[in-house]
Amino acid sequence: MAIDFIDVVQAIIDGLLFGSTYALIGLGFTLIFGAMHKLNLAYAASAIAGAYVGLAVILMSGLPIVLTFVLGPVAGGVIGFGVYITCFRYMPPTNMLAPLMASIGALFFIDEIIIHATAGSPLAFPAVMDDVFLEIGDYGFRGDLIFVLVTSLIAMLVLLYVLFGTRLGLATRAVSQQVVAAELCGIASHRTNATTFAITGVLGGLAGCMAAAAVGVISPLLTVPITVKGLIVTVIGGLGSIPGAIVAGFAVGGFENLFLLLFGVNQRDIYVFLLLFVFLVFRPNGLFGKAINRD
Amino acid sequence: MAYYFGLLQTIGIHTLLGLSAYILLLTGQLSLAQVGFFAIGAYVSGILTVIFEYHIVPGLFAGALVGGFFAFLVGFPALRIKGLMLVVATIAFSEIVRLFFFNLNWRVMVNGVEVGPDSTQGFREIRFYAANGWDTFDVVLFIWLFVILIMAMLWWLDRVRAGATLRAVGEDELAAQSSGVNIVAVKVAAMTFGGVIAGLAGGLYAHSATYVDHLTFSVLLATFAVAYPILGGLSSVFGTLIAVIFIQGILIEGMRFLGDWRNIFFGLLIIVAMNFRPAGLLDGNVVARILRIVGRGKGSDGERHA
Repeated sequence: MAIDFIDVVQAIIDGLLFGSTYALIGLGFTLIFGAMHKLNLAYAASAIAGAYVGLAVILMSGLPIVLTFVLGPVAGGVIGFGVYITCFRYMPPTNMLAPLMASIGALFFIDEIIIHATAGSPLAFPAVMDDVFLEIGDYGFRGDLIFVLVTSLIAMLVLLYVLFGTRLGLATRAVSQQVVAAELCGIASHRTNATTFAITGVLGGLAGCMAAAAVGVISPLLTVPITVKGLIVTVIGGLGSIPGAIVAGFAVGGFENLFLLLFGVNQRDIYVFLLLFVFLVFRPNGLFGKAINRD
Repeated sequence: MAYYFGLLQTIGIHTLLGLSAYILLLTGQLSLAQVGFFAIGAYVSGILTVIFEYHIVPGLFAGALVGGFFAFLVGFPALRIKGLMLVVATIAFSEIVRLFFFNLNWRVMVNGVEVGPDSTQGFREIRFYAANGWDTFDVVLFIWLFVILIMAMLWWLDRVRAGATLRAVGEDELAAQSSGVNIVAVKVAAMTFGGVIAGLAGGLYAHSATYVDHLTFSVLLATFAVAYPILGGLSSVFGTLIAVIFIQGILIEGMRFLGDWRNIFFGLLIIVAMNFRPAGLLDGNVVARILRIVGRGKGSDGERHA
């Protein structure tokens, strides 16, 4: 199969647009890591679960379908808070393994509940603006992917405002820098962490809706691949780095689609993982990460 | 009876898989790559016994060695990264291995039958036990021989200087380094040894299942591998065995009457167990108490942290 230059550029464009969902998931991982120096492996599962709850409420209540993209994030926030309470709140602060393992348990738990509720079959997910197709020169832009990109960008801007423009964001950043010092300044670290989990949950619920809308179906099979891709984005961007997660999300999306064009669907992910190893060998702290000496 | 022998085989293989993660956890590294080494061991030993018609013992050893070799290779880049980065890197490694076998197609004619890994269809013809007239009881003995051997080695390791060195690196890397421990060597050694055990477990798995495909070697199995030692506790090598018996024997086999609710309880149980026993079921205090009851405990052991 001859691959033209135009195909390559088109593949990268589609990938970059879809990459905005990876950026959102990567942001969630990185924010939680930044706040607590712990990894929440249930994050992508709660994102997908949020999208499911949003879809279920819309289907059962008959509300306008666009509201899925509002209810999904809200449900994601609630689930994120639940994960914090069950897997992180009561764990010893120095123990890294116990919350990690508990969040894996939560991943299975959420996944199995979805499988149980839907009998394991994928559901159609509403896409927005899928009848729109922009053409600029030789290149086309899918309307639903543009919707995904724009919504994700708005979410990122809101998040950046919350983090850097409000007192809540100040508290979050203080806790992530030094828990003890932050508590001495009168910041309730548990409450701040719980808020961080709820905010990242909202972000995740939105990302889950976006990913499902771009693919067209929602299925519990999405959780593990999205978890893995989100983790790769987090590492390539640099653990705890917000601009890193955004840039790496788009980059992974673009490269993934390029590899899909070049190597086919069976081998695509091998090259994505090899890309991760290239970063681990040559830039182990990621694109924007600070050197981690001890964790 | 065959059913219980099958269960014993599963418990033995999963114990080995858990122990391969256990030795790495002692050095404070959480690796989800064990399933990758397990897959390598399964395919290598399967290919040797099926395509090259080796006896199972050299086949298993070759699988274990190749698993250890890849673990050695993975160990070096893994040294540049720590903690949570390692989790991600090792997930990626396991997925690369899985996708490699997903794409591997190597069909050859042996004695007039076409055999070998057939990419998405899996590798179906691993029939060494049946072809050589071993019944399930022989297989159970064969697997548990290795389990006992590896457990005895790890138990002994905890009683010599090398084990103390491993735990020192796990407790505080910087302090261990200041005391003259070569942490690079310790981590790579632990990784390699873990890879050898996982490769061995993979070879045993391939031959008792007679059939392997890429779906078996998923992230799910990788999390099982680390879940056993974490749930069981890192204070004793028996914690892993107890966790495997608990999960495979009681949760998975004993609760079949619950149907698909069983899987939901499984996730919930991990969460509950970690909240109430963050250092595992057999943590330092429990081990010390058991040792005191048996009459071998020393006073200082009671102070040991998990």
